[in-house]
Amino acid sequence: MTESAVGVSFRPGELEVRPDGSGNLLGSRCRSCGAHFFPVRQACSGCLSDDLETVGFSTEGTLYTYSVVRQSTPAFDVPYALGYVDFPEGVRIMGQISGCELDEIHIGMPMVLSLEPFGEDDEGNPTTGYRFRPAEASSD
Amino acid sequence: MTRFGKHPDADAADLGAEALRGAVSDAGIDPRAIEAVYCGHVFQGMVTGQRILAQVGLAGLPLSNVENACSSGATAIREASLAIRAGEHDVVLAVGTEHLTSRFRGALTPDKSDPEAAVGATMPGVYAMRARRYMEDFGMTREQLALIPVKNKTNAARNPLAHFREPITVEDVLESRPIADPLNLHDCSPVTDGAAAVILMSDQAAKKYGNGQPIRLAASALRSGTVDVEPTSMTFEPLTWATAQDAYERAGIGPEDVDFAEVHDCFSIAEVLRVEGLGLFEQGEYPAAVERGEADIEGRLPINPSGGLLGKGHPLGGTGVAQVVELVRQLRGEAGDRQIENARVGLAHCRGGKAVGIEGAACTVQILVR
Repeated sequence: MTESAVGVSFRPGELEVRPDGSGNLLGSRCRSCGAHFFPVRQACSGCLSDDLETVGFSTEGTLYTYSVVRQSTPAFDVPYALGYVDFPEGVRIMGQISGCELDEIHIGMPMVLSLEPFGEDDEGNPTTGYRFRPAEASSD
Repeated sequence: MTRFGKHPDADAADLGAEALRGAVSDAGIDPRAIEAVYCGHVFQGMVTGQRILAQVGLAGLPLSNVENACSSGATAIREASLAIRAGEHDVVLAVGTEHLTSRFRGALTPDKSDPEAAVGATMPGVYAMRARRYMEDFGMTREQLALIPVKNKTNAARNPLAHFREPITVEDVLESRPIADPLNLHDCSPVTDGAAAVILMSDQAAKKYGNGQPIRLAASALRSGTVDVEPTSMTFEPLTWATAQDAYERAGIGPEDVDFAEVHDCFSIAEVLRVEGLGLFEQGEYPAAVERGEADIEGRLPINPSGGLLGKGHPLGGTGVAQVVELVRQLRGEAGDRQIENARVGLAHCRGGKAVGIEGAACTVQILVR
């Protein structure tokens, strides 16, 4: 992605987008017990500590499950693939899947975070969101 | 309760009022005996319960509108039972209503503030992902999954108030319109209008107004989803399990004592996850049990004899109350063509809502005993 194409994050509290087009999904890490949460929380549900810090998660994970959504919704063109990816910090995050044919998707495949154009904000400016793409197809 | 289906000429208050009048008539009481009202709905706007009472001339009563997603109606029943247990009231009405066709078309989605809604989550999409994983983990076939809507719509054909009255086949399920792979249209509960109402009484009031044998609400349990500290299996429901354990303990009744159940089959896969979470069937074993006919009306443990959400329909606020209406009818022996023989203990389970990072939002389990 070129710098000029980088829009602002579609949800700045959940996705950090840097000027070079890279970024991370954001969540909380409990300084007391080490648990991680997505999205950011005010207190840890493991130990109830409120000593949390906001951290960016790893960009590589594993596909836990997926579906191809074929019934139209007001917000997105169909079909699109939806999946849950497990990250090493112990969080499972939902996102759309891009970068492969729909029939190539399978449970257990290695995935990477991919920052991509994702709609517009209320003023009509393009925004950057995220999808997940297969790790082996992410060399670009 | 009203007929479930599409009611273009009525609104949520009309339907709720019809259900209320039906419940009063069934109880054989003067409507002025009702001391308080709880109204469950999701998308019907402010003071829906008051609009119902205005239709039927009941004014001045304490009334609370209750929202807990698809568990709203069941939560209204629980609130009514608490008001009685607290000694505040003796006769309380719980009504659930929804005019969903005027509020939604197609797939329901989580609240738009939710991070998962923002990336394209739909309720069918989420349940489809759970179905996919269940097939991977337990070897369930697509044909086995299709047997659940076949069973429930066959039951609905025996229920004059159901949204759908036509039995279907496995082929019908497999050939219906794809919604979210692997789920097709017949795997999804419909967009339904409808309402249901029940009247709860203290023991004392039941003696005073009693019309035959009262059905006892042995337990009414409510739990909220907990935040995941780490990802857990999406093919088992800790929230359903915890709520059921609460209900079993309060009722002094275990899953082995349950004769039949109405469970929240918003999607075909949901029925699998519910009955296993309730401990009615071992994990991974329900699809084969359905194949053997164990969950049929004539089977060992009938599940969703009313037709369930898939067959009877799913007017969100009305659903949990309608489940209890079905339990009462079965326990009284008034279920007509779909009557279960010798039913003594019935269980109703609702589960609603979706929010990022929690395993389920609102869950209720109610146990009724003859």
